[in-house]
Amino acid sequence: MADTQIAPEPGTRAGAGPGGPRAAKRKGLSERALARVFVAPSVLLMALVALFPVIWAIVISLFLYTRRQQTGFGGLENYTDALTSGRFWDSVWFTFVFTVSSVTFEFLIGLGFALLMNQAFRGRGVTRAAILVPWVIPTVIAAQMWFFMFNVTPGFINNLLGLGNFNWLGQPGWPIFAVVFADVWKTAPFVALLLLAGLQTIPGDVYESARVDDAGMFQRFWFITMPLLKPAILVALLFRTVDALRVYDLPAVMTQGAFGTESLAILVREFVVRTPNPGFGAALSTLTFILVLGVGMIFVILLGRDLVIGTEGEE
Amino acid sequence: MKTRRTFSTWISLAGGFALLAAACTPGGDDDEAEGGEMVWAIGGSEAQVGGVHQTIAERWSEANPDNPIRIEILPEAADEQREQQALDLQAEAGGFDVLGVDVIWTGEYSENEWLESLEDIRGDIEAVTLPGPFETGIWGGELWAAPYNSNAGFLYYRTDLIDTPPTTWEELCQVAEEAGSAEGIAGFVGQGAQYEGFVVNWLEYYWGLGGELYNEDQSEVLFDVELATQATEFMADALSDCYAPGFNTSMEEEARNEFQGGNAVFMRNWPYAYSLIQEDTGSPANENFDIAPLPTFTGQGTISALGGFNNAVSAFSNNKEAAKEFVLWAATDPEVQATLATEASLPPTMASVYDDLADDPVMSLLGEVLSEAKPRPPAPQWNEISVTMQRALYPAYNGEGDPRSAAEEVLAFLEGTVGN
Amino acid sequence: MSDTAPAPVEEVTRRGQARKNRRQGGVVEQRSTLQVWGKSALLGVILLWCLFPFFWLIMTSLKIGDRALNSPDLFQGPFGLQNYEAVFGQNFHLNLRNSFVVAGATTIICILVGSLTAYAIARLPLKRKILLLSGVLAVSLFPPVALVPPLYELWRNLGLLNTWEGLYIPYTAFTLPLTIFILMTFYASIPKDLEEAARVDGATPFQAFWRVILPLAAPGVFAAAIIIFVLSWNEFLLANTFAPRNPEIAQTVPVAIAAFTGAVPFQRPIGTITAACVIVTIPMIIIALIFQKRIVAGLTAGSVKG
Repeated sequence: MADTQIAPEPGTRAGAGPGGPRAAKRKGLSERALARVFVAPSVLLMALVALFPVIWAIVISLFLYTRRQQTGFGGLENYTDALTSGRFWDSVWFTFVFTVSSVTFEFLIGLGFALLMNQAFRGRGVTRAAILVPWVIPTVIAAQMWFFMFNVTPGFINNLLGLGNFNWLGQPGWPIFAVVFADVWKTAPFVALLLLAGLQTIPGDVYESARVDDAGMFQRFWFITMPLLKPAILVALLFRTVDALRVYDLPAVMTQGAFGTESLAILVREFVVRTPNPGFGAALSTLTFILVLGVGMIFVILLGRDLVIGTEGEE
Repeated sequence: MKTRRTFSTWISLAGGFALLAAACTPGGDDDEAEGGEMVWAIGGSEAQVGGVHQTIAERWSEANPDNPIRIEILPEAADEQREQQALDLQAEAGGFDVLGVDVIWTGEYSENEWLESLEDIRGDIEAVTLPGPFETGIWGGELWAAPYNSNAGFLYYRTDLIDTPPTTWEELCQVAEEAGSAEGIAGFVGQGAQYEGFVVNWLEYYWGLGGELYNEDQSEVLFDVELATQATEFMADALSDCYAPGFNTSMEEEARNEFQGGNAVFMRNWPYAYSLIQEDTGSPANENFDIAPLPTFTGQGTISALGGFNNAVSAFSNNKEAAKEFVLWAATDPEVQATLATEASLPPTMASVYDDLADDPVMSLLGEVLSEAKPRPPAPQWNEISVTMQRALYPAYNGEGDPRSAAEEVLAFLEGTVGN
Repeated sequence: MSDTAPAPVEEVTRRGQARKNRRQGGVVEQRSTLQVWGKSALLGVILLWCLFPFFWLIMTSLKIGDRALNSPDLFQGPFGLQNYEAVFGQNFHLNLRNSFVVAGATTIICILVGSLTAYAIARLPLKRKILLLSGVLAVSLFPPVALVPPLYELWRNLGLLNTWEGLYIPYTAFTLPLTIFILMTFYASIPKDLEEAARVDGATPFQAFWRVILPLAAPGVFAAAIIIFVLSWNEFLLANTFAPRNPEIAQTVPVAIAAFTGAVPFQRPIGTITAACVIVTIPMIIIALIFQKRIVAGLTAGSVKG
């Protein structure tokens, strides 16, 4: 739409001005003004709630504490302490392993679910609801449930698989598996839901023409579905990744962070709540934030290329 | 076009609902304390309606209509309780007058200047209270929290499988293994997951070897690396010999369920398990179990870590005098203290109650055990100490680290806590 | 809408299938039986995977007594409804009310406010979109546990502790980024010529959005609505800090469940926890059942395109 109309006027600052787009003069708000009006409420609301505590945390992170008592200004000391502690890097490593493995499986399984839910068959509605069940259960309870399932006592999984007293949560290596498994079970439906909605917006006639061209099923999927689904995939991966990077409940309930399953969020909580040191806790939070934001930015840029550049060029 | 209109209607309807919701939260006007009403922030099952804390609060309110007390129910988990109290206290909001504080929080709370000193009622309390529980209320030589209920570990054992309870840990492990394999069940269950309960269990071994953490006024570290290594090595060996499978992921309830389900010969647990097993007539352990003091390594005496809750007065209370009277009353009134035992099987802290309840097997054993029980140091650093111990000792007993260097790590940390 | 919407996609698929069958003749017969079997088996596995733990929850919630509750045998009795009675004995219906209001208000505000922003980012000329998007994303990325102490202090001063507003305002703020990202991708996927056609017909930019784009993005909007609702329904940390007690005021469901206690200290109330979990999951399943129909083919319904 606007591409052709507005593009030749790069100097325009605000749409409402005299040089604004022709459409704007004709009726109502100009597109530029409308854009601002549309963006303002969200930005205001988010800024009002989030800005103060984030800035507060960043300021606090520059101060030194003995437990809850402030002892002075420390500059970046909390940060250097965190970055030189083995515990921090251990938790970064676990968080990284957890994120990569859980997001990978969630994506694959979620995509499978979405393709299935997208098909027409009897009982589809019920299947869709059933697939969403794991995700609807509150995380804290799901974590307790999987602790119960995996733990030697009462040992549901061991009982089911005839594994005797296999100690899933009490020996090196396996606790990570259990936590990832529980997370995949819990959140694959989230990915599925987003991808399903994405699949539904792919116009049917695209497939029609592909069928006429006699494209195979796999080819159709790879060359037609995937590219059109890409934005939905990126959004799903983005939010799964940033959430997985901040995982708390599952390892906290299932393993208490034992056997190398201490996530960054557990570490942060440790210094905010359990052994309070507000400065160090805030520094850890800020580091986590930077890390998560860094990863998030990769997705934003990928997404941005896809979606936004077209309209951004108009400026 | 029909579709589109329906959708817009949906959105408009939704908007209406949003406005409606925004308009009103149901009135919560009971926040304002009228007159002298006090708020007692305490958690767990006994704070719920029908629990013994409620009974005691009602009894106080009847007798003191000018300064009645109301319970704000905190969650069950100790960390959560502490966090909710901390938010109120950190903000100096004064929402709570009386605080139910775990025995290990005394130092931390007093260091934060969250508590009112109880020195002026110290004499009355000290005179009637068991020494162990009394010590948990003291930090820096001053009384900050009035003892309320205590707790100590028991050895539960199956009377149909063994005759007399062992008096040393080594003997216990051996008997457990033999009797367990003869019966096809596990030997010993306890609290071995990586959490505070593990520290308690480990300390009972360490203290049972004669080890100490600090001297009396906590100015000097007495931590013995040699004994600590032995304690950890004992656990490491027991993990493959007599501990039940899953010992290292088990907390109080996992242990109780195994024992109650007839899957273990011995159990280390708090007194709460007694009545639950006794009431469960379908349990193989029912009628076939008894309790004994926890063993040591020398065979002499018994040792247990102390648990329980004290009552403290918030420094931000508007009603400190009445609150003080309340905590004094709860600590020293024989009826209140007896109610804890008879209504809730919570171990009282008042010495004389145990004489009166000597017929009750749990209370009579508690009377014996509590006089030997040791508090974890109620230092401000206790949480950090506990976390350090968990992170060093848990991997060590699970074969993921060297017990000696783990002990040295703990020693180094403890040494950093004195003299600051 | 609900009954007509799914039709086009199914029709399309069926038509395609039929054509294929015609083309390939005899071989198809065999293969499709096999396919049907394979598909059913796959479906069975998926349902088992998703529902078995829920089945476990239901069975456990019906068990009475510690030993039954802690037995690895799902069918180890005795069974009864006592756990459910216990749950409702704790004013759980008030918790349900609070959660419905808070999650409902969050969902509606998020969709309303987020829709506009997402549209602006996807379609309208705005400067520095990448920067804006990054800022939006950043809002939701700070570890929430570190935001709790300052927010608590702020909320206390504003009198927002123990209120519905005190919950759905921050929920909205922290869920808006997700909302905006989801909706943005859906708006962007709608062909521009539809909008242009509307503009040519004399619609303002706002009308083009309201009349054309929003209805077409319906699958995305409903998917986003389900996600927002579930996220705010399940939120624990903020709810547990800002309204930790008192179901009659604002305590939400997850907080109430976490506050359940056994009859004695240490005892873990699995029975009541699982019962409560079943109680809260069932309305969510119903909501998912209703809403999922609308995650269908908003576009195909509208893409008739003249």
